[in-house]
Amino acid sequence: MMGEEKFYQEYEIFSKRTPSSAFQHQFSLLAPNEDMAFIMAQENFMRREPVADIWIVNRKHIKKMNDEEKMTLNRLENKDYRTTKGYGYLKKKWRQYEQEMLDEKEILSWGGVRK
Amino acid sequence: MTYMSVETEEAKLDKFMERIESGDKIEADDWMPDEYRMTLIKLISMHGMSEIMGALPEKEWVPRAPSLYRKLGIMAKVQDEMGHGQLLLRVTEDLLIPYNKNRGDLMQDLFTGDLKFHNVFHMETKTWADAGIIGWLVDGAAIITQTDMLKASYGPYSRALQRICAEEVFHAQHGESIILALAEGTENQKAMVQEALNRWWEPLLMFFGPASKETTGSSKQDLTIKYKIRTKTNEEFRQIFFDKYIPRILSLGLTIPDPTLHYDKESNMWSYQQPDWNEFKKIIKNQGPRSEARLNLRRHSYEYNSWVRDALSATIS
Repeated sequence: MMGEEKFYQEYEIFSKRTPSSAFQHQFSLLAPNEDMAFIMAQENFMRREPVADIWIVNRKHIKKMNDEEKMTLNRLENKDYRTTKGYGYLKKKWRQYEQEMLDEKEILSWGGVRK
Repeated sequence: MTYMSVETEEAKLDKFMERIESGDKIEADDWMPDEYRMTLIKLISMHGMSEIMGALPEKEWVPRAPSLYRKLGIMAKVQDEMGHGQLLLRVTEDLLIPYNKNRGDLMQDLFTGDLKFHNVFHMETKTWADAGIIGWLVDGAAIITQTDMLKASYGPYSRALQRICAEEVFHAQHGESIILALAEGTENQKAMVQEALNRWWEPLLMFFGPASKETTGSSKQDLTIKYKIRTKTNEEFRQIFFDKYIPRILSLGLTIPDPTLHYDKESNMWSYQQPDWNEFKKIIKNQGPRSEARLNLRRHSYEYNSWVRDALSATIS
């Protein structure tokens, strides 16, 4: 209906709530250009919650996976050696040496001030 | 040729139904049977257009709201409804891609009467109490049907509903706030609420649609349940509405305009006077009290504002 050149473009909208949070996909919208897409994004999806930044992506620039390509995402469940699951026995071992295991929770807590 | 395309239609359908049964979400680009696509298009386009048409009876009250605070509140709600319309039309458009149709076509379908909008939005709003009843009870009824579809098998619709329902909570409270102020007000104000309830009771019963397709000749409820778009029947929704709202209506000292209404302990169901389903049939054919006026307003604004689309699409040489 909209002339030779497609008037409305489809945009996918991403935004983040705070400067430190990750971008999240919100929804898609129709807009005739990028400037309008920014305006519509705020009007449509950000009337209430805080927002620190917005990305808009024209759908024609998104490469999607087809069904066949998605099948490459299936994983075999035989890779314990890649995860902490494969090293769970260490806890018992360290107990023999009267040491606590340095597990994920402990290690990720080391970023702060030295306790 | 990829091996996906040598699958028979039957095998595709089996796999599709398996996905639905297992709670998997269907996405816009996934294969889906035509019946599923058509059911979604009908449901979501009507839902989307009803949001847009539903903004009109409320918009009528923006200039007449009794205080600045009330004006801001109802304006925010009108804007939300238009926003919900945007989301739902977007979801519909992605489903319409194989038919090469877009929202311009949907708008034309609305104008010609091929695309229906919800029965409640064909009605008049006579006083400020009607605006309150719409927020409290019409939005309350909408919340009951929409929260049931939050887990709908179609991913994009389910995600749109997550956003919509979150805002509906504000709408319901906005309506309660108007009604409670009037119900605790002067005798005139109390009478206003009662009169509005009398006007809206039948449309509210009609809101959920007839219990079976025998009433109007067709019903989408079986298909929407089969495809796990929703889980409950029209009558189940209506009964939940009674459960939630009858005690609240009565607690405000209001009278429900149905002397036969009572809870039947044997069947665990509310027994009530059926609304005039012939009137319902007329309303959904755009022969309700305000059908033509609201459609004309929508036609007028679509044409009157076309200069905005023209300006945005102009090429500067």
